[in-house]
Amino acid sequence: MASTLRPAPAKRAAPPDAAAHRRRRGARFLSPPWWFAAPALAVYALVVLYPSLSGILYAFTDWNGLGDRNFVGLDNFTKLFGDDAARGSLVNTLLLTVAIVVVQNGVGLLLALGVHTGIRSRTVLRVVFFAPAVVSPVMVAFLWKYIYNPSPDAGLNGILGAVGLGGLRQDWLGDPDLAIWSIAGMVIWQFAGYSMVIFLAGLEGVPAELHEAAMIDGAGRFQRFRHVTWPLLAPAVTINLMLSTIGGLKLFDQVYAATNGGPGHASETLSTVLYKQAFVFGNFGYSTAIALVLALFVAAVSMVQIHYLRGREVA
Amino acid sequence: MTSSSGPAALSRRGFLGLTGGVAAMGALAACGGTSGGGGGGGTLRLVAVADQQKPLELLLKDYAKSRFNASYAPTDQVQTSVRTQLGAGNAPDVHVVYPGDGSAMSMAQIAQAGLLADLSDQAWTKRIPEGLRPAFQKNGKTFLYSAGSSVIGAVYNKKVFQEADVEPPTTWSGFLEVCEKIKKKGKVPIALGAQTQWVTQLITYALVPSTVYAKNPRFDEQMRAGSASFANSGWTDALEMYLELQKRGYFNDNPNGTTFEQQTSMVATGKAAMAIQVSAVLPDFRKAATSADDLDMFPVPGADDAGGVWIPAGVVVGLGVSARGKNADAAKAFMEFLGEQRNMNRWAEAVACVPLSRDADSRIDPALKSFLPFIDGNKAVPFMDQGWPNAEVQPAHFAAVQELLGGRTTVPKALAKLDETYRKK
Repeated sequence: MASTLRPAPAKRAAPPDAAAHRRRRGARFLSPPWWFAAPALAVYALVVLYPSLSGILYAFTDWNGLGDRNFVGLDNFTKLFGDDAARGSLVNTLLLTVAIVVVQNGVGLLLALGVHTGIRSRTVLRVVFFAPAVVSPVMVAFLWKYIYNPSPDAGLNGILGAVGLGGLRQDWLGDPDLAIWSIAGMVIWQFAGYSMVIFLAGLEGVPAELHEAAMIDGAGRFQRFRHVTWPLLAPAVTINLMLSTIGGLKLFDQVYAATNGGPGHASETLSTVLYKQAFVFGNFGYSTAIALVLALFVAAVSMVQIHYLRGREVA
Repeated sequence: MTSSSGPAALSRRGFLGLTGGVAAMGALAACGGTSGGGGGGGTLRLVAVADQQKPLELLLKDYAKSRFNASYAPTDQVQTSVRTQLGAGNAPDVHVVYPGDGSAMSMAQIAQAGLLADLSDQAWTKRIPEGLRPAFQKNGKTFLYSAGSSVIGAVYNKKVFQEADVEPPTTWSGFLEVCEKIKKKGKVPIALGAQTQWVTQLITYALVPSTVYAKNPRFDEQMRAGSASFANSGWTDALEMYLELQKRGYFNDNPNGTTFEQQTSMVATGKAAMAIQVSAVLPDFRKAATSADDLDMFPVPGADDAGGVWIPAGVVVGLGVSARGKNADAAKAFMEFLGEQRNMNRWAEAVACVPLSRDADSRIDPALKSFLPFIDGNKAVPFMDQGWPNAEVQPAHFAAVQELLGGRTTVPKALAKLDETYRKK
């Protein structure tokens, strides 16, 4: 229908005068929407784009943050791919990301389905589940350090003991095999409510008529979720998966505050390694190389994710 | 409704004029802030770590020649911000500096970049003991002010020791016996908060003076020359002794999951008998205890021959003057003030350390008295990291100890890794 209302093709087919086209484009940039965006864009360019792009140069130097810098070509990148600590931190980062993406979104979806029902306390529950997401990640990490107290009568271990599950007591942050999963637990606790809110917005957009039609066709609760709700939640799934993947790959605050990458290097992530290389060891050039690789990696993963997930969204 | 399209509507020219005006005012305000703050009228910007707050607040009150804009923050935050400011050329006039080498904010590394003012002509620098000079000086010039040295030893709860009927030991075997008796009394002999990474190093540091430096005082020199290594030295004995304490069950459960605060609380409340700690944190232990008199300190004997026991005594975190600051002269005058014996005594007393030089008015914390014979008898060595050539060795040591405690590595592997990190350029 819309195509019949389009301007006559003859008018569009005429090759536009190049000068006129440039004038029109120039005029568009001088139009009111751009006036309002201009200050923000200028600040963004000044404090984000320029430092980020100019910072890339440091990845090819041996700058220590204080003295002169020398161009070292690709040495920092060669070092990065041969660095055991960096490789270990990459594995940890990927494990954490997978755990966070799967569990956080799974729990978020269940919470959203739970509070999308007609239960009376749904508003209070929504606030309660979302509340941790507004707390600073560092504060959450300090709080969880108390919860993860290894003493048998304190925190989580104390609760486990009190309910007769004393055998499950652990050295949550001190056991090298458990530390990253404990960190994943605190991140999931904090951000499952955030995922819930996005899923909830998606659920609110599912037309009730579709559920009614499916019910008339004899679809059960699971079938309605599988064939009506889930396909229509695809945009929310895309956003949630992308945000949690980026968050997982960049994870820093919680790790830094809870374990600082320890015990040993058991919970080191790419972000903690790049922080330490820059601000603890003074290897700013090498740390910029890690940051650059991390940024490219996050961008690549996000683009693949968007490409795949957008394809399954229902128009 | 009409107002949005009526006379009050903003024209393109008006909008550009308005934004231009706001930008110009912003720029003027920014310029005004810079000149007013930077010129300062004698206001010095001082950034220090939280450990320095108490003595500095005490001394700043008595210093009238300049005004100060002082801020204090935890070590890692200060390290991040001050180093960035040093690199950007807008460092504070007076800022925290760590003694010797081996950290990104150490005297040697900042002085090497030409960012610290030379303090060599100040009177107090003549009183720096010979053995401590490497912590203060680079190429014969003094770049660091520090009030004295702190020691590492066992902070112990006297009541727990009395209950177990034990006295501070003077030999390693005596130390093990004391731990055994305390364990039999149902108390934790040694509280260890190894989740807080800097705590991991203290037991090694307490033992290495006896296992390494007592036998070979030139060890640091040989390490720098490449003729010695951690793996083929008394470092092996020190780490074996560390692990022996763990194997005998003298630490609290799960030391890798226990923090410094939990360690402090365990000793202060009598759940544990002692903690191997640096004297600078004595105030934290005393604050957590019912009575400050319940706590005392003794040197950890790292040898079976009492005569072969040496101790670690490191120069405490100090201050430096930014070489490129506009107020360098005023800042140096403040350093001269801090270097007066009276002020050195006051600083040392506030942080429970031994003053750089002593006079009749120097009051040494009673808990440190048992360390003085070692310091005066040249049986004290600076904290090991203060002589290490790069900032990566110390964190490698933290990680190695956590991995040893977690059973993830062995002493030879841990020391090989430490050697590899030491040799990094």
